[in-house]
Amino acid sequence: MTQILLATVLGTLFALGTFLVLRRDVVRVVWGIAIIGQSANLYLVTMGGLSGGAPIASHGAHGFAEQPTDPLVQALVLTAIVIGFGTTAFALVLTYRVYEEHGTIDTYKLGGEGS
Amino acid sequence: MAPDGVALVTAVFLPFLAAPFVVPATRLLGERVAYPCGIVAAACFGLVASQFGAEGVVAFEWIPSLGVALRLYVDGLSLLVAFLASGVGVLVFVYSAGYLHGEGEQPRYYASLLVFMGSMLGLVLAADLITLFVFWELTSLSSFSLIGYYQRESDSQYGARKAMLVTVAGGLFLLVGFVVLYAVSGEALAEPTYALVTADGGGLLDNADAVRETLRDEGLLIPVLGLLAVGAGAKSAQVPLHVWLPNAMEAPTPVSAFLHSATMVKAGVYLVGRFRPLLGSPEWEALFVTLGLATMTVTAILAVAASDIKELLAYSTASHLGLIVAGFGFQSALGAETGSLHLLNHAMFKAALFLVAGIVAHEAGTRAIDDLGGLRHDLPITAGVTVVAALGMAGVPPFNGFYSKEFLFEAAVAFAEGAGGLAWLVPAVAVFGSVFTFLYSIRFLMLFFGDRPEGLGDVHRPPLSMLAPAGLLGVVALLLGLVPQVAVDLLIGRVFEGVSSTPGGGAAHRVATAGVAVPEAVPGVEAAAAEGEGFTVGLPTKLSPAVAMSAVTILAGLAAYPFYGRLRDGIRSVLAVGPTTVDWWYDNGVEGVETLGRRTIDVVQTGMVRTYATWAVGTFAALTLAGYLAAGIGFPAISGVGPGVTRPIVLVLLLAVVAGFAVDTSPSHVAGVLTLSILGFMIAIFYILMDAPDLALTQLLIETLVLVIFLLVLDQLPAFYGEIDRWIAVRDVAVSAVVGLTVFLTVAVSTAQTPDPDLPTYLADTAPVPETHGSIILEYGGGGNVVNVILVDFRAFDTLGEISVIAMAAISVLTLLGRRTVGGSE
Repeated sequence: MTQILLATVLGTLFALGTFLVLRRDVVRVVWGIAIIGQSANLYLVTMGGLSGGAPIASHGAHGFAEQPTDPLVQALVLTAIVIGFGTTAFALVLTYRVYEEHGTIDTYKLGGEGS
Repeated sequence: MAPDGVALVTAVFLPFLAAPFVVPATRLLGERVAYPCGIVAAACFGLVASQFGAEGVVAFEWIPSLGVALRLYVDGLSLLVAFLASGVGVLVFVYSAGYLHGEGEQPRYYASLLVFMGSMLGLVLAADLITLFVFWELTSLSSFSLIGYYQRESDSQYGARKAMLVTVAGGLFLLVGFVVLYAVSGEALAEPTYALVTADGGGLLDNADAVRETLRDEGLLIPVLGLLAVGAGAKSAQVPLHVWLPNAMEAPTPVSAFLHSATMVKAGVYLVGRFRPLLGSPEWEALFVTLGLATMTVTAILAVAASDIKELLAYSTASHLGLIVAGFGFQSALGAETGSLHLLNHAMFKAALFLVAGIVAHEAGTRAIDDLGGLRHDLPITAGVTVVAALGMAGVPPFNGFYSKEFLFEAAVAFAEGAGGLAWLVPAVAVFGSVFTFLYSIRFLMLFFGDRPEGLGDVHRPPLSMLAPAGLLGVVALLLGLVPQVAVDLLIGRVFEGVSSTPGGGAAHRVATAGVAVPEAVPGVEAAAAEGEGFTVGLPTKLSPAVAMSAVTILAGLAAYPFYGRLRDGIRSVLAVGPTTVDWWYDNGVEGVETLGRRTIDVVQTGMVRTYATWAVGTFAALTLAGYLAAGIGFPAISGVGPGVTRPIVLVLLLAVVAGFAVDTSPSHVAGVLTLSILGFMIAIFYILMDAPDLALTQLLIETLVLVIFLLVLDQLPAFYGEIDRWIAVRDVAVSAVVGLTVFLTVAVSTAQTPDPDLPTYLADTAPVPETHGSIILEYGGGGNVVNVILVDFRAFDTLGEISVIAMAAISVLTLLGRRTVGGSE
C-alpha cells in the first residue's frame, strides 16, 4: 500500500504541476515548475526508505540511537531545495521584468500570437 | 642529419606570431606593410631551407594524457611543400603590394595570409594526426577569410561560404578517418598512437605493413581509404567536390595563385602522398586512379567551357591535381615519380599563370576570355612567361609539364599491362583528358597572340612588384623544363622516396602489394632507378608507348583547336540546365537544408511556452513508457501494508495533494501563492516525519522566503488569470494525466525494488562502531550530523557549486531589476 500511496500522491502532484506549466499566465507557469521541483525532491527522499531514525550520531554515545535513514539522498535533496529556491526567485524576477518590458504576462501575447 | 627542432617550430609559428603585428605595422608603413610580411615569409623559407638534407622527427609535448604531441617530421615530401608554401609566399606578398594598391582592409588580408602560410607549414611538417588536422582546418579558415576579402560582394560571400562548407566538411571526414587509424593502431602496435613517425620507430608510418594488415583484417581498410579520399578530395577539388574551386576565384588574384594553385589545394595531394606508403594497396590504386583520372578529365573539359581566365585556371588546377592524385594512386614507382614531379611542376607553372592572369585583369580591366587577345604587344615580358608556363601546362616538350605527363602515361601503360582487360581504359582516359588540357592551355596562350579585339582599351604596363614574381616563377619553370634532372637530384628524388617507402628505409611494398610488377621491359627510357636513389628524367630518345601517347595528345589537340569555339559551345549547352550544371548539387543541397531549417523552425519554434512544454514533457513521458514497454516491465505486485507509513504521513500527503489542487484552481494570484505555500509546508512536515531534520529546516526557511518574494513581486504584477478555453483545457488535462501516469508507474516500479542493501548496511554496520568506520564521519568529518558532513566534507565541491548557483541567481536578479533604468527603452 505504501507504494501505491506514494505513487498516487507523486503522480497527482506531477500532473498538477504540468497542468500549471501549460497555462497562459506566466506566474502560473512558475508555480508549476515549483510544484514539479518539490515533488521531485519528495520522490528522491522516499527512495531513501520510509523507516529509520535521523542520520545524526551523537558524540557522547558514539553511534546512532536507532538505524538511520539514508543520509545521501538527504544531502542531495538539500542541495536541490536550495537550487530550486534560486531558480524560483530568478523566474519570478524574470516574470516581473517581462511585465515591465512587454506590459503583459500572457504567454500567448508574448509568443506573438494575437499581439 | 637530424632536423633542428627550434628551426622547425620557429618556421611554423613565426607567421602566427607576426600576424597580430600587421595592424600596428600598417599604421606605420601603410601599404608597404607587404614587404615586412614578405620578409617573414623569406625567414620561414630560410628556416625550412636550413633543414635541407635533414630527415627525422622532433617532438614536443602537447596533450600527453591523450597521446597528442606536436611532432614535426622532415622528409623530401614535407620539405618540397614547405618550400612551395614559403617560397611562393614571398612572391605573393611582393605581388600583393602592387595588386592591392589602393584597396581597403589590407591588414586583415596580410594577417590572414600569414596565418595561412603558418598553417600550411604546420600541416606539411606535422607528424601527428591531430596536429595535422588542426593545421588542416586552420588553412580552411584562413582561406575563408581570404576568399571573402571583398566582403560586400555577394559573389565573394557565396564563394567563401562554399569553400568553407566543402573543405571543412571534408576535414571532418578526415578526422573520423584519423580516429579510426588511432583505434586500429592500438591493435597493430603496442599502444594506440596518433604519431605518423616517432624517433623510436613507433609511429603509424614506421609500422605501415602491420597497420595496413590490421586494417584489412578488421575490414576497415576501405572505410579509412574512403574517409581520407573525401577529406583530401574536398581540399584538392577532386570530382565531385571540385565545385568550390571556381568560386574561390573571387579572391584577389595573388590569393588564388597562392592558396588555390600552389599550396592549399596541394594539401589534399600531399595527404595522399603522405599516406601512400601506409595504405598503398590494390584498393588504394583502384580508388585514387579512378578519382584522379575522372577529375583530370572532367575538370579539363569544364576548363575548355570557361569564359573567365581565372575560371579556366581554376578548373585547370583541379585537373592537374587529379593528375597528381592519379600518379600517387598508381602503386608502381612510375606513379610516385609522376606525383612527386608534377607537385613541383604544377606549382611553378600554375602560380606563374595566376600571376599572369592577375596582371592581365589588373592592366586590361577584364577577365573575359572573349574580350582579350593580342596582348603580346602591350605585355611582352608577361607574354614570355605565359609561353613557358602554358606550354608546360599543355605538356609540350621541352617544358616542365611534359616530363610528369610522360611519367603518368608510362605509369598508366604499366598498370594496364599488368592488369589487362578494362585497365586499358586508364591510358586511354589519360590521353583523352590530356587533349583537353592541351586545348585550354593553348587557348590561354592565345590571349597574347592573334588580333586585339576591338573593345579592348588601353593596357598599362604592370608595376615591377607584380612583374618580378611572375617572371621569377617563369624562369624556374623554364629551368625545370630544360634541366629537370637537377631538380630530381636535389629534391624530387627524396620526395619520391618519401611517398614510396616507409621512413625506416623499409623495403617499399608497392610493387608486391599492387600485384602489378613494373615490367623491366617497359620501353620507356625513364624506367625507375634503384629504390631509394631517386630516379632519372629527361627527354625521350626512342619511341615508347608513352612518347606515342604524348604525340597523339599534341596532334589531336592541334587538330581540334580550330574547332575550339564549337567545342566550347557544345560543352556549355550540355552544362546549361539541370543536374549536369556544375553547382546544381551544391546549390540545391544548401538551399534544401536552409528551407528545411526554416520550416522546422516555423513548426518547432512557435514562441509559445506551452508548445515547448508539451513537447518536452510529452517526449519525456513517451520515452519513459517506451522504455518500460521495451524492457517488459509491468506493474509490480503489491503485497500488504508497506513499512513506515503512519497515519500522520498519510494525512500530510493528502493535505499536500489537496493544496496542489487548490493551486491549480485558485481564482487569484494571492490565493494561489498561499495554497502553494501550504503545499510547501506540508512537504516540510513530511520531511520531519521522515526523520530528515536538515531538509525540514531548509524547506521551512525556503518556503517562508519564497512566500515573501512571491507576495512582493505579485504586488507589481497585474491580476491576469487567463480564462481557460474548453478544448485547450481538455488537451492540457490529457497531457498532465499522461505525465501523472508516467510518474505513478515510475514511482511504483522503482520503489518496488529493494535498494541495494550495501548502503544501509554500510551505515548500520559501521557508523555505530566508532573504532572502525565510525571514525570517518565523527573524527575525519568532525561532526555527528551525517548529512552535514557529507555536504561540507565529502561533497564540498557540490556545495560550492550550489552556492555559485545561488550567487548567480542573485546577480541575475540584481541585473534584471537594476538594468531597467540604464537600458531604459520605455
